[in-house]
Amino acid sequence: MSTFLFALKNVLRNRRRSITTVLVAAIGCAALLISGGFALYTYAMLADNAARESGHITIADKRFFAEEEETPMQFGIDNPNDIIAVLEQDNRIEFVLPRLSFSGLLSNGDKSVIFAGTGANISAEIHVRGSFLQIEAGDINPGKDINSIAAITIGKDLARALKAHVGSRLTLLATTADGSMNAMDAVISAIVTTGWDEADRRLVLIDIEYAQRLLATDKVSALSVYLRDDRNVRGMQDDFLTLGSGNLMSKPWSEQAFYYASVKALYNRIFGLLGVIIALLVLFSVVNTLATSVAERTREIGTFRAIGSYPQEIVAQFVHEGMVIGIAGVFIGNVMAWGAAFLLPYLGLEMPPPPGRSIGYPLLISAPVLLYVAIDALIILLCCAAAWVASKKAANMPIMEALRHV
Amino acid sequence: MTETVDYVIDIEGMSKYYALGEDKISAVNKVSLKIPGGAFAAVCGPSGSGKSTLLNICGLLDTFDAGQYHLNKTNVGGLNETERTKIRRKEIGFIFQSYNLIPVMDVFDNVAYPLRLLGKDKLQIKAETAKILEKVGLTKFATRIPDQLSGGQRQRVAIARALVKRPTLVIADEPTANLDTKTAETIVALMKELGNQFSVTFLIATHDERMTRHCDKIYNITDGVLA
Ligand SMILES: Nc1ncnc2c1ncn2[C@@H]1O[C@H](COP(=O)(O)OP(=O)(O)O)[C@@H](O)[C@H]1O
Ligand SMILES: [Mg+2]
Repeated sequence: MSTFLFALKNVLRNRRRSITTVLVAAIGCAALLISGGFALYTYAMLADNAARESGHITIADKRFFAEEEETPMQFGIDNPNDIIAVLEQDNRIEFVLPRLSFSGLLSNGDKSVIFAGTGANISAEIHVRGSFLQIEAGDINPGKDINSIAAITIGKDLARALKAHVGSRLTLLATTADGSMNAMDAVISAIVTTGWDEADRRLVLIDIEYAQRLLATDKVSALSVYLRDDRNVRGMQDDFLTLGSGNLMSKPWSEQAFYYASVKALYNRIFGLLGVIIALLVLFSVVNTLATSVAERTREIGTFRAIGSYPQEIVAQFVHEGMVIGIAGVFIGNVMAWGAAFLLPYLGLEMPPPPGRSIGYPLLISAPVLLYVAIDALIILLCCAAAWVASKKAANMPIMEALRHV
Repeated sequence: MTETVDYVIDIEGMSKYYALGEDKISAVNKVSLKIPGGAFAAVCGPSGSGKSTLLNICGLLDTFDAGQYHLNKTNVGGLNETERTKIRRKEIGFIFQSYNLIPVMDVFDNVAYPLRLLGKDKLQIKAETAKILEKVGLTKFATRIPDQLSGGQRQRVAIARALVKRPTLVIADEPTANLDTKTAETIVALMKELGNQFSVTFLIATHDERMTRHCDKIYNITDGVLA
């Protein structure tokens, strides 16, 4: 009889107890897979959001990433269209979107509120990013202007502060690149929510040509590069150093995604601690049930020792039994976790908004093979370790004591 | 020219003490014992006389406190547990009063187990196990588990397990105590027959008349002292 078959037969000896042990391993496995899958889904979602927002790679003046501008557009990129033309030759790159960041006051005539504006090619943004804003009212892409007045999309709290609606006319006030004040009429084409309270109070989205006109500049603040394959991000960072007059620099999305990084750090701790607790519970529980089996089989252990088995051979036998339990537990645990991953999309459950956000996100879990392999290996290892702990002492007790055991 | 006898067991002045509260009792007291190879020897005495203690020491399952023990001319007194396990694995077979078979293993696997420990290859294990099963008359029961066997059959399995590796010494502590007279007779006869065939030395503890009749050497023990 092979060691494995012998282990299996021993596991099947006390079925009720073995089933309990297997279920503990299974539930521990499923809990780790589900919580890990949830964390990974959340990371992937946040990463995707962050990459969509900033582009996989942002290209800007070196100083743009490090310093504050003294005057608007001080660190802007000259001749952005020339650079875009060069970049679009690179077949790893799918799109390059110019963006212009600026700030100023938005006024309804009676009241002025600070805004943080982005000038962008709206239809290109929609093409690349999908419906990246949640529309409360109106149309974010009515064209650059409506009846020759700049069309703007604003955050819902900014709209409320100004008592403005779709179609309301407002005035944008900003400092130009050469330091004077400029004003421009605008009409609200859409009111949106970003899911971020702070952004909803400040957001103004306007066509980039109108933004350049308001700031009296030809420059843009930065270029957002979208790749065909996001795995290329790492390898491409240094490729842009020679662009422009050599003073440009690129940053991958991950270095700018502070929210992503902080949520990931927080979840890593929470789920890491949870994982350790679950692992310990599995370990103790399996040790406990296996110790009962070991005690019941003390005389058998004595017999094996008398016939000539070494203690480590007996421990190895129990470790095989732990492995059998672990494999059975992992199998059931995987089915449970995979079932949950499969069913959740149909249930349409929502997670409450994470800190700092106003909209929740769907409760889904990822089920990557690597996670399953790692967790399965961990659970099986834990069961083996539990068997080792449970049998070590009995395997090493004096033979006569073991043989006299009843 | 003096003829030298090869003793399997050669014990000189051996004692084994157990603490009993403040006192210590000598379970085995200054025992000297020489058993030549191929003997079918019995240690006889009433319950508590020290038979099991002596046999356990002879089978290297237990240690002793004073004296000398040469097993197959090897001084085994100073050996550690690993070294003693190695000798047991190769050279000593055991037959227990309550059979001590492994309940999840069938007859074949119970008997083959000592050969597996010796690392023999599959074909050899199969052949040797089949051979010994035939000798104890259990060929037809090879796939049964111990629970499906009678006491006499179980003890036959134990005999086969003890002999399959052709040890030099078999230790049998009251092997017939759990059996009825008729079965006990056949079991003793079987042990004796196979002992002769394989020239294995048997050391049996018993207070069973049915047993001692077959033995060629009988040592009487009382209160740990050999007569
Ligand atoms: N583990 C032990 N601890 C203490 N005393 C023991 C132990 N084993 C045996 N004894 C004592 O040693 C003596 C001999 O016992 P044992 O060898 O079992 O005798 P037998 O096998 O002839 O019945 C008895 O007095 C018994 O109580
Ligand atoms: Mg006894």
